[in-house]
Parts: sequence; structure tokens; C-alpha cells
Amino acid sequence: MKLILDRIKNGIDTIKDPICENPYSYGKIEVNNESCNLCGLCQKECPVKAISIMDGKLVVDSRKCIFCKLCIDYCPHDSLKMTHDYKMASIEELGEEFRHEVFSKFKRSLVLRAVDVGSCNGCFLELSSLGNTYYDMSRYGISIAASPRHADGLIVSGALSINMKAALIKAYEAIPNPKIVIALGACSFDGGIYKDGYSVIQRVDQVIPVDIYIPGCPPSPAAILEGILRIMKNL
Amino acid sequence: MRINEFKEELGKYRCENSRICNSNELYVDCSKSNIEPIVVLLKNKYKLKFIAEFCIQISKEDKFKINIVFTNSREAYFVVLNYTTGDALVSMQNNFSQAHLFEREISDLFGLGIDGGKDMRNFVKHEIWDENSFPLRKEFPYKKKVKETYGIANYEFKRIVGDEAFQIPVGPIHAGIIEPGHFRFSVIGEDIENLEIRLNYKHRGIEKIAENIDANKLNLVFERVACESTIAYSEAYALLIEKMFNFKLSDEIKSLRVVLLEIERLYNFLQDISGICTDVGFSYPAKKLNYIAENIKQLLERVTGSRYGRNAIIPMGSNIAFDNENKRDILDTLHGISHRIKTITDVSLESFTFLDRVENTGVVNNDIAKKLMMTGVVGRASGVDYDVRKSFPYEIYGDIKKSNKIEHIGGVFERYKLKIAEINDAFEFIEGALNKIGTNIKKNRPVIKLEKGMEAISIVETVKGELMVYGMTGEDNRFDRIYLKTPSFTNWKGLTVAVLDEIVPDFPLCNKSFNMSYSENDR
Repeated sequence: MKLILDRIKNGIDTIKDPICENPYSYGKIEVNNESCNLCGLCQKECPVKAISIMDGKLVVDSRKCIFCKLCIDYCPHDSLKMTHDYKMASIEELGEEFRHEVFSKFKRSLVLRAVDVGSCNGCFLELSSLGNTYYDMSRYGISIAASPRHADGLIVSGALSINMKAALIKAYEAIPNPKIVIALGACSFDGGIYKDGYSVIQRVDQVIPVDIYIPGCPPSPAAILEGILRIMKNL
Repeated sequence: MRINEFKEELGKYRCENSRICNSNELYVDCSKSNIEPIVVLLKNKYKLKFIAEFCIQISKEDKFKINIVFTNSREAYFVVLNYTTGDALVSMQNNFSQAHLFEREISDLFGLGIDGGKDMRNFVKHEIWDENSFPLRKEFPYKKKVKETYGIANYEFKRIVGDEAFQIPVGPIHAGIIEPGHFRFSVIGEDIENLEIRLNYKHRGIEKIAENIDANKLNLVFERVACESTIAYSEAYALLIEKMFNFKLSDEIKSLRVVLLEIERLYNFLQDISGICTDVGFSYPAKKLNYIAENIKQLLERVTGSRYGRNAIIPMGSNIAFDNENKRDILDTLHGISHRIKTITDVSLESFTFLDRVENTGVVNNDIAKKLMMTGVVGRASGVDYDVRKSFPYEIYGDIKKSNKIEHIGGVFERYKLKIAEINDAFEFIEGALNKIGTNIKKNRPVIKLEKGMEAISIVETVKGELMVYGMTGEDNRFDRIYLKTPSFTNWKGLTVAVLDEIVPDFPLCNKSFNMSYSENDR
């Protein structure tokens, strides 16, 4: 009875479109090339070496960035600015034939197997937040499988630790073809802050092919959802 | 006994070489031959509590200093016994049942033997590792990777033998969104006879990374030990640096830190009790509590710019600005939530099908909890009257935290009730701390300049329990050694006791009521 009253009083606890603009979120770092004089200070201070100078321009690689904002604090010319654009997922090069097969098969639903290979658990907390009523990923046909045999793809987070290597390969091989691999967070791209750790022996993509990177540290549930939907809707 | 008196008292036992640092740390030099009698003395006569054991390499040659940390929680000081050794450490496994964890870790990462140890299996090193690489030694260069040579012997699990006995191996990858770890159940019929947990699948070598990063950026590494305790870890780092410099922080920033720490506790415990409801199959509270936790994460995002409060707490300052608008935002959000949590949790406490599952399930009694050094909520549910916020008050906890809430039976239900009590406390603390913030706080990031040879110990109550950090500075504004004794490191063993004689389907429930972190255990 109390539950019914609670339900009547509070109404529906969800929102229509979780991938909306979020003015508080961290997002892509933009460079103002006019005021930047390439002093290289931000490059030196970046803890994950995400900043590089290419063709006389400063480039921030979102896939490596952990969004600590140190570069913004250190920049003497205020050339760097953090936007609120969290939609940073990047699809890696897929073969045309494979792309067609993937998109035709997965456009209605996607069942994923989640494997953590050495993260801080942040990406997985956000992934499980996707299951709550606010985001409710199952309305888009996305669900997490309990066995790789039931899955269409793998969702990997973390820097690949030596102790997880065999398990990751086994999980990947157990998934039927065609399969996709989604990598969450900066450390699944190149190790992030753990890059120089002695037991982080390889990058994830040196062991299994990665199709899409969802950057962030950790990526917010909306960012993860947007990234997965990109594959399904063939954006 | 106060720390000064204790220093003199130790003089009676040929431990004259001792010094007091940072007003509550007593470092005592012992030798390899007399360490064991002194440890027994501290344990039995003075009733000090063993909390950690770690190793420091003191020179490039094979010289290692083993440190054994004790605390006196009544008088709030640490006693660190140390001895130097070249090749092996003296095992304390006869004195402390959890000592094997610390010793096996030292043995794997520094390559020391364990003299007189019973359990000497590899801990961090799984089968794939190279036998002769000892990555925490100074001669193992930073950025070098360990080799894959499959040089380690197969890990031996405890075997249960009998006609109807069988084993259920689970993991390292679990069915769901869970971190990796291997569970080996030994089952006779339906009952669990033994559970052995093998972890360290996520070992990333954070202690080595922390030794090679500039102190001004080290908070980023600390925050990434375990995401669910991000704020508590950055707090531990801030306390460590402030203790070294004897820095006095303004009351406003202290209060802000308490607000953030308690918000972190709030969403974690909401997720925990939501998880318990999920595992029982009571979906309404599970979904709604999870939704409320999501609201709190969004609140944290509005206040700090990150859903987990990353890069908000830094040593000797504050990395976020805080004004009246944020204050009102926090008060408004929490005001709407607190009443609703009470309604929903009351429903679960009145539902007899729920109580039937959680009462007297997964019991860890007081004696065992003390032996296993269980801390945090899981310890207090078993009657261990210890909370870092009360025993070693930091920031403004001395003023607002007056007593510990404890339960006695130590089952799932007690942990559930305590987590609800912690949530209610958190509301109170947040309100109290917000009242102490009179003026706006500006973003202020002071530069840290370390000198060589400073050392300190800081201690913080995270959502999982007691976190101890030891730091010793080296050259180049870097640390020479950082050691983290994380709460999950010792608490995991409690789960293996809790599930004994329960049926396998109750394991998820027990596990969720503990909800220990894999990543902070593995580091």
C-alpha cells in the first residue's frame, strides 16, 4: 500500500531522452588556435600525454584524455576551453563488408558481455547506472548477457592487466561471429593513467580488435548510451 | 597509555631507538631477531591492533625494511615497528590470521622469502608471470613491463574431499557488470563448505606508478585506485601531504570536504541497499533507491563537475569553487530525498518475505570479525566498535561524529540496517557541515614542494572501511614509497566466512551486503 502511495506521489522516475544536453558534464577540450602560441606547457603537464602538436596546431586526443583539466589550469593564454559536449565516441575503421553485416544485424537490438580488464571500476559503475530507471538502456534494445555465447559483442573497460589477458581472449573467442568490441574509458585506449604500470603489458587493441572507443574517465551513462546507439543506428 | 609514555615503556624491551613523527606516529627500530617477541608483546600486553605490514627498499643493494603498523585507536596513534633484512621476512602468520596477505604480497613484489610461513602461495603473480621479476624493487625500471613466461607454479585451492563433495569455479569474468575475481566454492549437497577467493586479476601496479609521478598530480592516481571511493582516496592523499607539512586548513574547506565525503557515502550505500533488494527480488525499492542514487551522482556532477567528485579535493586547497548557490542546491536536493528513502526502506523492513531472506543469513560473529581485521560497516555489523571518523578524527569529524552505531549479530540484515543508519547520519553530517560554510570558497591550487625524507601516515574511513596510506618522500618532488592498505584487502576474507553453511543461491546476497571493491584490493 505504501509503495502505491509512493508511486502516486512521485510519479514516473525517468526521462524521455537521456541523451540530452548536460550543461554540467565534462566534455571535449577545444583549442583556440589564435591565442595559442604552442608554448608546450600543457603538453608537458598532461599526465596522460593526450596533447600533441600536429602541423603547427595543438591537438587534444579525446580518447586519451582523462578530463582532469590540468592543461586548462596551466595554460598561460587561456587558449584551452572545456565544452560540455560529451558525445565523443569514435568508430574505428571497419571493413565495408563487415560494417554492412554488423549494422544490418545489430540495428534493432544489441546484447553485450561486459569484461573489466583492470580499471578503477568507474566505467562499470556507469554501465550499471545505465540499467537504472533514469537511463533504462533496455528501452533501446541494449542488454548485458551473462554468457559470451549469448552475446553480440564485448564491452571492455580498463587497462589490460597481465593477469586478465587469457580471460579476455577466451571471452572474445567464445562470442559468435559477427561480433563487435566496445572499449570504455581512457585506459582501454592506451592504458590511461596506468599506462606505465609494470603489469599493464599491452593495449586492448593489440589483443582483440576494437570497433568503437567511448572516451571519458569514466564516460557518463549518457555518453556510453550514445556510443552504443551509434553502432546500432549506423550514424 | 599516551604516545610519550609508550615510547618510554618500549625502552624496557631494548627498543631505545624510537622516534615520534607528526605527533602521533611512533617509529621503533627493531632487529630481525627480536621482532617477534615485541610483536607478541604489543598484541597481547598492550592490546594494540595490527593493521598492516609493508616493505621499503632502502638502498639499491638488497636491503629491505619491513614495517609492521599497529594502532592504538583509543589514544589515536600509530606504532610502526621496523627491521631490516636482506633476503627474507619473519612470518607473523602464527600471530595474525591475516598476516599471510601482506607477507605474500611483499614476497611476490620484492622477492623476499617468508621465514616460518604456513601459506606461501603466490598472491599477485598469477601463472603467466615471470618468476624472477620483482617489480617494486628499485632496480626494476619504471615503464618496464613484466614478461609473460608462465613461470609461476599452479595455484593450489583448498580441497574438500568426500563422496558428495564437488567444486564450483566461478570467474574471473562474472555474469553481469562486475569486476573480475575467481571464486572457488566447495560444496557438499547444497551447503557451501568452503569458499576461496582468488583476486589480483586487476593488478596495475599503482604503488610503482605513484612513486614516479609528480606530487602535484598524484591525487589523480589516488582517485583512480577505486572509483566508488574517489573522494575518500583524494582525501587520504590530501591528509598525507598536510600532515607532512603540518598545514592548517581553513574551516570552510574542511567542511566542504566533509560534505563531499558524506555525499559519496550516501550514493554508495544507496546503491548497496538497492543491490540487496535486487538480490532478494524486491524490485520496487531496488529500482527507486537506485534512481535516488543517480540523483545524488547528478548533484555531485553539478557541484564538482564530475559524477564521482574527481579532482575536487587537493592537498592544502580546494580545486572547486563553492558558493551559496551550490549550498542551496545540495540542501534542496537532499531535502526531497531523505523522506522518500525512509518511506521505501521502511517498506522493506516491514516485508516479511524480505526479512525471511536477510535475517540470520551470512553471519560473521564478533570474534572472527576481530581476527579477520574487518573494518567499516561490515566490521561494525559484527560488533567491532571502530570507525576512523571517531577514533582518528580528521577535518571536522571531531565535532560532528559523537558515537559509532554498531550491531551485534553480523548478518546481511545487520549490514543492511547499518547502511540505512549511515545514510541517515550522512544527511545529518552534510547539513551540519554546510552550516559551517559561511563564506564562498574560491578555487585555489597551491604548488606542493616536497623535501627528501619526509614520512607520514594518514588514515581515512572510506565507504568500505579503513584506508591507511604511508608515504615517504624521495627526490624530484616525488615519493620514494607509497603504500596503501585498502579496506577491501582484509575485508574480502570476511565474505568467505559469511557464506559458510549457506546455500549457493544466497551467495550473491552475502556478496552484495559486503560489496567489497576488487580494484582497490588488486591496486
